[in-house]
Amino acid sequence: MSRLRDAFAGALAGLVGGVVFGAAMQTQGMVGEIAGLLGSSSMGVGLGLHLLVSVLVGASFGALFRYQPRGFTAAISAGVLYGLLWWLLGPLTLMPLLQGDGPAWSLAGASAAFPSLIGHLFYGGVTGLSFFVFASLDRRYLYSEQKRPDRKPTRVVVLGGGFAGIKAAQTLEKRFNRDTDVEVTVVSKSNYLLFTPMLTEVAAGASEPSHISPPLRALLDWAEVVRAEVDDIDPDNRTVHLRAHLTSESRTLPYDELIVALGSVYSDRGVPGVRDHAFSFKTLQDAIDLRNHVIATLEWADAERDETVRRRLLNFVAVGGGYSGVEIIAELRDMVRGLLRFYPNIPADEPHFMLVHSRDRLMPEISAGLADYALRKLEGRGIEFILGHYVDEVSATEVRLDDGRTFATETAIWSAGNAPNPLIKALGVELGPSGALPTDDTMRVTGLEHVWAIGDAADVPDMYQDGGPAPKTAQHAERQGTQVADNVVASLRGKPLSPFKFRTIGMLVPLGHRTAIADVRGLHFSGLFAWLMWRGIYLAKLPGLEKKVRVLFDWGLELFFPRDIVLTRDPGDPASPDPNIEPASPDPSSTSSEPVSAKGAS
Amino acid sequence: MSDLPTEPNVNTDQTDQSEAPFRDLFWRKLRLGVLAGIVGGLVFGASMLQTGTLPTIAGIVRADSAFVGFVVHMVVAVIVGGVFGLLLLYQRPGVGETLFWGLSYGTFWWFLGPLTLLPLFLGQGLNWNLVAAQQAFASFVGHVIYGASTALTLLVVERWRHHDAPHLHPWPLLGGAVAGVLAAWILGGAFAAQNGFAALVGVAEQGGTMLRLLFGAVLGLTFALLYPQPSERAGVGLVRGTVYGFLGWLVGVLSIIPLIRQGRLAWTLTEAQERVGALLGLLLLGALTALLYRWIVGASRALFGAEVRGREAEGVGTQGLRAIARGVPAGLVGGVLFTVVMVQLDLLPNVAGLVGSEDRLIGLAVHLAVATLIGMSYGVLFRAQSVEIGSALGWGVSYGFFWWLLGALTLLPALLGSGPTWSAAAAADAFGSLVGHLAYGAGLGVTFYLLEIRYSPWWISHREYRRQKAEQHKREVLTAAPALWGQMVVIALTLPLLLGRV
Repeated sequence: MSRLRDAFAGALAGLVGGVVFGAAMQTQGMVGEIAGLLGSSSMGVGLGLHLLVSVLVGASFGALFRYQPRGFTAAISAGVLYGLLWWLLGPLTLMPLLQGDGPAWSLAGASAAFPSLIGHLFYGGVTGLSFFVFASLDRRYLYSEQKRPDRKPTRVVVLGGGFAGIKAAQTLEKRFNRDTDVEVTVVSKSNYLLFTPMLTEVAAGASEPSHISPPLRALLDWAEVVRAEVDDIDPDNRTVHLRAHLTSESRTLPYDELIVALGSVYSDRGVPGVRDHAFSFKTLQDAIDLRNHVIATLEWADAERDETVRRRLLNFVAVGGGYSGVEIIAELRDMVRGLLRFYPNIPADEPHFMLVHSRDRLMPEISAGLADYALRKLEGRGIEFILGHYVDEVSATEVRLDDGRTFATETAIWSAGNAPNPLIKALGVELGPSGALPTDDTMRVTGLEHVWAIGDAADVPDMYQDGGPAPKTAQHAERQGTQVADNVVASLRGKPLSPFKFRTIGMLVPLGHRTAIADVRGLHFSGLFAWLMWRGIYLAKLPGLEKKVRVLFDWGLELFFPRDIVLTRDPGDPASPDPNIEPASPDPSSTSSEPVSAKGAS
Repeated sequence: MSDLPTEPNVNTDQTDQSEAPFRDLFWRKLRLGVLAGIVGGLVFGASMLQTGTLPTIAGIVRADSAFVGFVVHMVVAVIVGGVFGLLLLYQRPGVGETLFWGLSYGTFWWFLGPLTLLPLFLGQGLNWNLVAAQQAFASFVGHVIYGASTALTLLVVERWRHHDAPHLHPWPLLGGAVAGVLAAWILGGAFAAQNGFAALVGVAEQGGTMLRLLFGAVLGLTFALLYPQPSERAGVGLVRGTVYGFLGWLVGVLSIIPLIRQGRLAWTLTEAQERVGALLGLLLLGALTALLYRWIVGASRALFGAEVRGREAEGVGTQGLRAIARGVPAGLVGGVLFTVVMVQLDLLPNVAGLVGSEDRLIGLAVHLAVATLIGMSYGVLFRAQSVEIGSALGWGVSYGFFWWLLGALTLLPALLGSGPTWSAAAAADAFGSLVGHLAYGAGLGVTFYLLEIRYSPWWISHREYRRQKAEQHKREVLTAAPALWGQMVVIALTLPLLLGRV
């Protein structure tokens, strides 16, 4: 807006400069030359054209160089610069071209146009100074900051810092980069974006935790980041209630448009014992805990003389045969196998890995052929699969199935359930069958104004699945993020919204030990090639150059050095009660040797 | 090394008068300007005594005695000085800043005075033609030196009246001298190819290595005096250095050396034309000196400085890579603009000569490759420097001119194996290429700026970002950056005309 005003002031200034220049040209007899451009020899035509060009050049000067308080000297100087550039562009280039000659880009041509050079120089100087005068008068009497209506900035709030939320915020930043009346605020519980495809790498000790989690503040350029817990969402008053810390007061954040991308949380599906005794696998903390627990278990097993206890310690059970369950058990096996050389007292045949899955085949989302391949491959590596059975109960030392079988284990990994973040209930709309927010195809939450939902917490209709909810994967979440940001922009600018339209590109599941399976638009890959694809694609997808380099280094180092077995967070001394728990506590678990503190969802 | 200054612009900020009441400020600057104008007028007047132009000025009051001319001249000098003081009302009072405004101001008055107002007063009508301009060349030198001495006087008096003794740190001065010697040494080959430095500056001796290094040292040392604590990007230094090299030519080559050798000034057109080689050499020497000086200061600051300044969002490496990556498309856009000129003037076979070919397509490929490389260097040197399209234009055009000097007049002929090129004739022949280089710079700077604004460098909220951007713009406007751009273009466009036409 103010650029336009500067352009007007510049146009007026260009008129002044043009009059001065024109008067000088008159004495030099140059006006007729300009009239000649239009095939006329009239003085009036020449002057008119001259003034018109002067005004246009002046307007562009105002728009390009802008008004700055106190900058009159700079305005003159910049005007001289601009005038001289127009000497190059006008008398040396455009005028000869219009007259049908080639550009006068030679010393002879320039020498002939020398009078005009001086004229342009003064034109620029006069225009610059007049521009400053006009623009400051304008600022002073017509358009001062104080006289402007106090416009409050439009605030777009993004709840959630996952793939969907961050993509939305980044797209908003791009779209509103020059629109300073829009503020974007991202509210997230964690201050980093968790790159979940590499979470198993962390659990297996192949990558450092911080290397797969770029900080939100680094990913976003100017959007505000608030690390806080969402207490409540009030769509009627268009506010979100936040709490930066357990001890702090709840804070109200108003919004004009709200994008809900709160993602999913881990769900125990009502199975007893899961919350207390099984490892969840959802957050960075989960991965760190799991890695520490496995190493601590190996340490204990190495020192344990009782074979029963040792077998229990070395039995690793994953529950749930989706991508993450298969991935984690395969990676875990690799890790334990690789670390055994540090633990000479553990017989090589004792570590045992098993996966319990409720359906008849693994990974129902992927084609049967690939799932079979994975099953065969992993069974060949000694992983036991129990298909078609549910887990009924998880206790500190065993997992019980629905047919009554029990397996002694210290390590049960729960990857059988995710549920949309329960915070979305605060919106007060009826949730879909999966517990997610129902939206229309432009990702507006059904029944609410100015609220949008994307990612795992939303059921966005998928055009390619007859309007059923789109798969809850990162690739969908990212596209939804981009699209919802575009729709928010469109809605703020009163333009039509566009529907979400994205077909799954493919699926990549690493199976450990340089094998993976991949399904890319119906093309199937497996083995080493798919594994290389996995590494290449996800490395490219990992946000931020710095993190890419770090992960690449992690992978490179793995070729030379064994995985680290440092207990970065000791889950507790297995031979004595947890020091954090009072010995006199009536809780029986405190006297058991089971390391409680590391388990369960945080 | 612990006393190395780490905070930028400590000196220049100390006397920030922007808070003083307008009336006080106005009169103070006016008085300062008048006083400085007297000194500048005396310097200019003394030179006019020698060149014998004073009676012409007396013509304004219909007299023709040298004394009357001197009086008229002094009156004008005082008025013009007063206006200069007022122009600097809010400008940042750094040494270098004021000096460059002075140069620009003096140049402007040459156009306004001898070419415009003086003939009008004498009743001859406007004197806007090349012959008259060439005849007034001595006056051109005089006006620029008037501007410089007025600026320096104003500065010294102001400092002295405010008991603000300049803080002379020895390290930057040493850094400047080292940079100058280093630059002179690096350019040694180029000078040697033009019959040596001594021949270029009109000293008939052979060799002149010592003279060259001494010149570099003086240039570097005095430049360090202007900017004891440079904090801008190296590219800004490069532009300043180029303009400073121009001043070095006027003061050193046209004035001091002839004064010592022959006891008189060498301000006539013919003498200046003979020394065009030295001008081109000194423009490059100045640019290189300032660049090296900035890097030396930057390196010593990074190594020995105690304080971490600024909030850089990313590591230097990432920012550099980003800047280089943005420089690629920017350089290509500029290169395409330049191609128009190249095709028009049929310069492509010439460029193809770099790889031993005469094919126009190969020439185009080489040209675009070079344009891209230069674009990348622009990214590194001018990263986060342009805050508005106007300033992008200014920096880009200045950088384009620098590459006309370095590329078209120095490296290209050297690589093609043709002889000396730092001559008035060569510069005149390359005028078309100059137009191309300026167009290249404009395209480069503006494209780079447009790429850069897509990314905002601060981890702050949007409104804060805008405030900071406005602040930066204000700072730039009050520095001598606009004067530098203007002066660069005036040098680029006027000098080939004045000196190239025999």
